[in-house]
Amino acid sequence: MVEDFGETTAVNGGDARQFCLTLNAEPLELSWHHCGLTSDFIGEYFSRACGKGIDPVDARHSISYMINEILENAIKFRHGGDVVIHSSLEDQTFEIRIVNRIDQETATKFQVHLKALLEREPGELLLERIEENALNPDSTGSGLGLLTLMSDYEAKLGWSFTSERVSEGVELTTYASLRLS
Amino acid sequence: MEISTNDYRVWTEGSDIHYEGTMRLSGTDAYAPILEIMNSVLASKPELITMDLTSLEFLNSSGINLLAKFTIEIRKQPEVGVRVLGSKSIPWQSKSLRNLQRLHPALELTIS
Repeated sequence: MVEDFGETTAVNGGDARQFCLTLNAEPLELSWHHCGLTSDFIGEYFSRACGKGIDPVDARHSISYMINEILENAIKFRHGGDVVIHSSLEDQTFEIRIVNRIDQETATKFQVHLKALLEREPGELLLERIEENALNPDSTGSGLGLLTLMSDYEAKLGWSFTSERVSEGVELTTYASLRLS
Repeated sequence: MEISTNDYRVWTEGSDIHYEGTMRLSGTDAYAPILEIMNSVLASKPELITMDLTSLEFLNSSGINLLAKFTIEIRKQPEVGVRVLGSKSIPWQSKSLRNLQRLHPALELTIS
């Protein structure tokens, strides 16, 4: 079964510059610091491939911020297995697909969260969430990553949940794209 | 007061709080020692608190939550002013710092 939320259609085609990186779970003992390291590497890689009219400093930062936030979620919520990052750049559009595995309970909670997220204006919801986090001493601060991407970076985001056998959990593909300038 | 690691440094000079480097900590708990330093400045009830971010190259969304939470704490004390200094050459600051002003319109934001 496949369930989609948000924008899950890729714009970049076969002519795009593409790059695929797999973070293998076992030998790497995947952990938090891989997020920053990986996102900085991909940001640097594509900022050097940007054409005229794109500010490489802004491109490097925006790509790195976007990948870092989505990878942080992937590392935080993953249910074993590798994390695969597909990235591409064509003209001014940078796109990623990050694939990881989560358990069914996490998938269900995340889907509820996404439904609420996609119904609202992200800038408004961002401020609302910040105020809620400030009031709640137990808040983990999570939930701002996707909202800052949508509100501050005008990123387009989408999620696809694929499940076949319950024992294998759910394969989550996160789609994100940025218009570089 | 100062917290210093290989990735970042946060320190105070009077009521000025300086941030430097790359902060990508894993959540509210990980940022708690930094919030403690910031809250100790607020506890002294200065006329003006300056958050100098001009050398903070990268901040993840949990860190943005930290700055926002502190801004809300300052907002509760109208006698304490706040000024945030940012840099145009660090892209996240032009994109995300305006949210602090939306939370607390009296906050003075300078990105130069």
